[in-house]
Parts: sequence; C-alpha cells; structure tokens
Amino acid sequence: MDNHIQIEKLSFSYDLKKVLEQVDMNISKGSFFCLVGPNGSGKSTLLKVISSVLKPQKGVVYLEGRDINHMKNREKAKLLSFVPQNTSLEFDFRVSDVVLMGRYPYVNKLRGETGEDMEIAEKAMEYTNTTHLKDRSFMELSGGERQRVILAQALAQEPDILILDEPVSHLDLQHQVEILNLIKKMCVDRKLTAITVLHDLNMASAYSDYIVMMKEGKIMRQGTPFETLTTSNIKEIFSTDVYVSVSPVGSKPYIYTLTRPNIEKKGVRVHVICGGGSGSSIIGTLHSEGFDLSSGVLAIGDLDWKISKENAVKIAEEVPFVGISDEAYAMNRELAAEADAIVLAGLYIGKSNKRNLELLLEEELEGKPLLILEDESFAERDYTGGIALQLYECIKGRGYAMLTDSKRLGEEILKVVETHGEN
Amino acid sequence: MERINKKSWPVFIILVVLLAVSLLLAAATGAVDISIKEIIEILSKGTDTVNASILMDIRLPRILLAAVIGAGLAAVGGVMQSIFKNPLVDSYTLGMSSGAALGAVISIITGLNASVMGIETTGVFAFIGAVLTLFFVYSLAYTRSRMSINSLLLAGVAVSYFLASVISFLMMLNHDKIEHIVFWTMGSLSMATWNEFYIASIFILPSLAVLMYYTRELNILVMGEDAAHHLGINTAALKNILLITCALIVGIVVSTGGTIAFLGLVAPHIIRLVIGSDNKRVIPYSALLGAVLLVLSDTVGRVLIQPVEIPVGVMTSIMGGPFFIFLLRRQKVK
Repeated sequence: MDNHIQIEKLSFSYDLKKVLEQVDMNISKGSFFCLVGPNGSGKSTLLKVISSVLKPQKGVVYLEGRDINHMKNREKAKLLSFVPQNTSLEFDFRVSDVVLMGRYPYVNKLRGETGEDMEIAEKAMEYTNTTHLKDRSFMELSGGERQRVILAQALAQEPDILILDEPVSHLDLQHQVEILNLIKKMCVDRKLTAITVLHDLNMASAYSDYIVMMKEGKIMRQGTPFETLTTSNIKEIFSTDVYVSVSPVGSKPYIYTLTRPNIEKKGVRVHVICGGGSGSSIIGTLHSEGFDLSSGVLAIGDLDWKISKENAVKIAEEVPFVGISDEAYAMNRELAAEADAIVLAGLYIGKSNKRNLELLLEEELEGKPLLILEDESFAERDYTGGIALQLYECIKGRGYAMLTDSKRLGEEILKVVETHGEN
Repeated sequence: MERINKKSWPVFIILVVLLAVSLLLAAATGAVDISIKEIIEILSKGTDTVNASILMDIRLPRILLAAVIGAGLAAVGGVMQSIFKNPLVDSYTLGMSSGAALGAVISIITGLNASVMGIETTGVFAFIGAVLTLFFVYSLAYTRSRMSINSLLLAGVAVSYFLASVISFLMMLNHDKIEHIVFWTMGSLSMATWNEFYIASIFILPSLAVLMYYTRELNILVMGEDAAHHLGINTAALKNILLITCALIVGIVVSTGGTIAFLGLVAPHIIRLVIGSDNKRVIPYSALLGAVLLVLSDTVGRVLIQPVEIPVGVMTSIMGGPFFIFLLRRQKVK
C-alpha cells in the first residue's frame, strides 16, 4: 500500500475554538514523518485525531485504507501505537510488566499472556536496549530510560504505525539523539511509519523524510526538509528570522536563528575592517553591546561575512579571490566615513585585501578615531612582502590611531568617541 | 525496587491464615467468652445451649458480615485508586459513602423502608445515593474534557461535608428516628442478621468477581486513559462498569453497616507496600486484608470498653486517620 495513512478534509474544534481546519495529508509506509509548527498550531490535536482519542467533527482518517471510525479499539491497537511526551505512574510497576502491557490487544482475557507474548516483549526490550532494566521499577528510571521502555511497550504492540508527541522534549541531548536514532531505525528495519511532533527544527531536518509545517490549524507547507525548511517558510510560520545553510554532516538543511534580544542601542556607529575570521568575535560582542556596525571589505562566504550577515550588519562585500574592486572599495570608504569610529581587526593581509589598509590613509578619514587591535604582531600577518607593513606603520602614526586589545574594545570606543566629540 | 520483585504467594497464605484466625478470635471473644473447642462443637453438632444461640444468632452473622463488607470496601478502594491514579481516593473521600448514607437516611425518614424479596429499600436508596454522588462529584471535577485529580478530591470532600450536614439537618427534624440515623452515619454492625449477611454476600461477592475480571485493564489504566485507549481499551465503558460496580458495593455496605471510613484507603496501601502495584494481586489481597481488618476492628470495638460498644466506623476512623496523614506526607515527600 502506498498511502499508509490518508487524511481527508479533517476539521476539529474544541467547543467553538477551531483547532484543525481542512487538513489533507498522505503518509507513505516506512517514512519518518514530522509535524512542526508553533505552539497551539494543532499538531498534538492532529496526532490525537489520527490515534482516535479525539473524534473530528468533519473529515475521515484512513489507516491502511480503512476508515478508523469503523475499526474496533483492539484492531486499532494492533495497527498503531502512541508514545507521549513523558509517562509517570502514580503506582509503580516493574519495567517488564510495563512492556508486557503492550501485548494487551493480543491477549486472551481468560488465558492470560502466553509464552509467545513474553518472547515478543523480551525482543522489544532487546531492540530498545532495556533488557538490563527489566526488573527495575519504572519510576526509578531516568527520563531517557523511561522513554525507551515506553518505546519497547509500543514495539510489543507490533504496530505498523508509531505516533509520537514530542517524544524528546524532556530529554537531554544524548537521550534525544538516542531516542530519535531508535525511531529512525524502526522505520528502516521494520517498515514502520513514524509520525512525530518535534520542536527542534534541526532535529526534524536531520531525521525526517517528510515535514509538514502547521500554523493555526492549517497545513502551510509540506515536503522534504529542503523543500520546507527555508528562510521564508520559517519566517512565515514561526515569525522568526533564520539563516538556513546545509549541515556539513548529513547534508540536510541546518537552521541558525538570527533574531537577537532587543538591546538598547548606544547610537554609536562602528566600522570594522576585518576578514578571515579576525572580526567575528568583535562583531558579535560589539553587536550584543548595542553598537551599530558595518564591516568591509569582506569576501562573500568568508566567516566574518557570515557573522556580519547573521547580525544584520551593513557589509562592503566582494566576490572571493578577485581582489577588491573599485565599487567595493568605494562602498567600504562610504561606510567608514559614516562611522563614529573605525576598528582595524587583527586580519592577515595579502594581495587581495591590501586595499583595506590603503583605505585608512584616505584623507576623507583623517581625524576619525581608529582603534587597532594588535593581539598578534603585524609582521607575522603580512603576506605582501613588506608593503603592508609600511602601510601599517603609516596608519599607526596617524593622529587618532590607538592600539588596544579586544577585551576592552567597547569601553575604549566609547571613551575615544566621547573625547573626539568634545574636540 | 525489591518490593516489586517479591514472590507473593506467601503473602496470600498469611492473609488466609490471618482471616481464619481473626474469624475464630472474633467468634470466641465478647461479653461472654466461648472457647474454641466449644465453637467447633457448636458448629459441628448444632448443640442447643445459650452459648450456641449467642454464637449462631448474634456473633456469627455479624462476624461474617464484617468480613464480606471489609473485603468489598477494600477492593473498592484499590480499584478507585487505580482508576483515578491517586492513592488518596476511596469511596469515602469521593463522597460516595456520604451519598449512600443520605440515601439510606431519606428512606428511613420517609418510611419507605419496606422489604421486597428480602431486599430492603434502604439498600436501594443507598445505592442510588452512592451512584448519584459519584457522578455529581465526577462532573464537578470534569471541566473542558479534562479531569483534574485535585478538583476531584476537593469536590469529593466538599460534597461529603455538604451531605453530612444535610444528614445532620434531617436528624434535627426527626428526633424520633435519631438513633436509627446515627447508626448510619457512624457505621455499626450491631444490628447484623443472617438475612443481612446473605443480601450483602449475594451482591458483594459477584461484584468482587467483576472487579477481579478487569484487573489487567486496571493496571493499564494506571498508565493513563490515553495510553489505555491506545492499547485497545474502551476506557469510558470500562470506567463506567467499574465505577457502577463500586457504587453497588458501597451502597450495599452502607445499607448494612453504615459509613465505614478509611478501610478502603488503608488495606490496598498496606498490600502495595508489601507486594507492589500489580492489581491482579493487589485487588484480591486487599479484599482479604480488608476482611481481616474489619473483623478485628469490630471485635475490638465490641470488647474494648464493655458494656459500651464502640461503633466499627469510629474504630476504623481512629486507626485510619493517622494512616491517611502518613500517606499525605509521603506523597508530599515524593
């Protein structure tokens, strides 16, 4: 069967509040299917409708082609199991008893659990690496162990479909990865269809075959991680600015958040001359301290360029490896001239970025406060055979140039801008 | 962890022996002491002495009634604690007992205590009172398709108080029947007859069998109602069956012995402390222990300050109150 789960025109409301509206979805067998969306977008409700805990006012859910309204509870339980966010028991049970409960839909009431049931439960514990916990009491386990035991119980149900509502939200990183790996493995090994809600978009990206993005009870986008997890989609659905790149491991979309806390602006503009990573920490720190920033000239794709982009800094940019064109140079000069102070980071100077130093000798910038970071001696950073060093000495000799180190940079800038203003 | 692993059959044997011993002890002690040897003689030969009539007409029906009622109350407590996933729930804290008592009191006052085929209308009224109260408390705690266990307990206690004051008010208005009513509110087995024992047994023993039949489902309910649903249980139907069965037991208990507090709380907890939470054993073992405890409480109440009899409900409250506080504190620590 191609469409393992089919959802048609599903609508659900609590009292008068519409939670799901006209949801259509097809889920194919053996896929890791992920629902993402802001809180209150109806993801958990959708899972509850699929697992028939809630009855929709309109629409139908088909499991393996059968309308769930026409299935008995036990039949459904043999087909589908559900893993909640976390499970706590008021009365304690042994781990093996909890796993064996998964056999309930198959157990004859009068005969009780058979040897076969025991065997299936034991295999489920082996698969989830919980055999060693078998005689422990459930409530003594850690969150990750408990979730593995609940997965074992779900497996003992021998389902074709596994539904998980934020299965890793309460777990630390190690256990998140452990549980998601396990679920992914079930999908591959056992052709199990997993439908899960995940909050971490990067986890969703790494594990999902298919992602559905929901907002306000509607499906906004669906498709592969590359099709769905784009800057514009995330902006639309989560109202958050992000930068999407490709994860170097696994080749899946990787999302960086850009939105920063609203820091009170100091009203001081600083232009940073940097490149090759020399300006990254300066830009990050100054930005978080409330300075307005610009930077240049940076090669597109350079680390400092990326950091500048993330912090929404104005950039004079250039295509990599071609040297600095007149346009880029002019842009850089303009940004520097507008600034209250200029910072020269401890960058390496070669042929292609030599003009970044020449800029500082421009007459237009005469008298502009210039802070030079010299954490490493310049001679060692000079790859122009001494030309840059000469330029550098000239720059250091200019009126408002001063040496400083990166730790006190913010304070020094404020001090120098203040005295400069008084003159 | 260890307690979960313990083999439970020795506990079962101990309980059976305890029950036999307490029944014998209860039969032997009282205003007139009867030796064990004489008891066996009376039971086997049917002699016609004064002691024989004391044993056969007064003590035996009372002791056996205590055993049946005790078993019923303890099983109800164990079942309701699992349904509501809270150790503080029982027929008393949810107001069922007070509801049953009010039902009984109303039947006494209105003079509707007729008897049809041996079934007293008082019992029917008590059952109706228990069911109505249970579903009223339940609906109070159930808001927006979610039930909070805290509001359930609060509603139970509040309704319980309310009903108790209604009973007091009715007592004020009906001076002539006050003694009869006090009997219901305090819980006493002093009027036990063979007939009452038969009626209690006819209803309570099959009800216990129904509860036992669903112990596997009851275990799964502890995982939560949604989890039970996902394992293929029709939770709403199951809860209705269990709760109505519980209400039936409570109604019968109250109509024969009045409100007897705390037994349903204490017995299941002692059992869980010893053998863990598996309801397949907790429910039957609690029933046995409940029988033992009620037979002993009633006997102690009979002989402690002779010739005055302490009502058994007072005895169970004296012993159960501190235990309830102990449970509360334990829960807080958790």
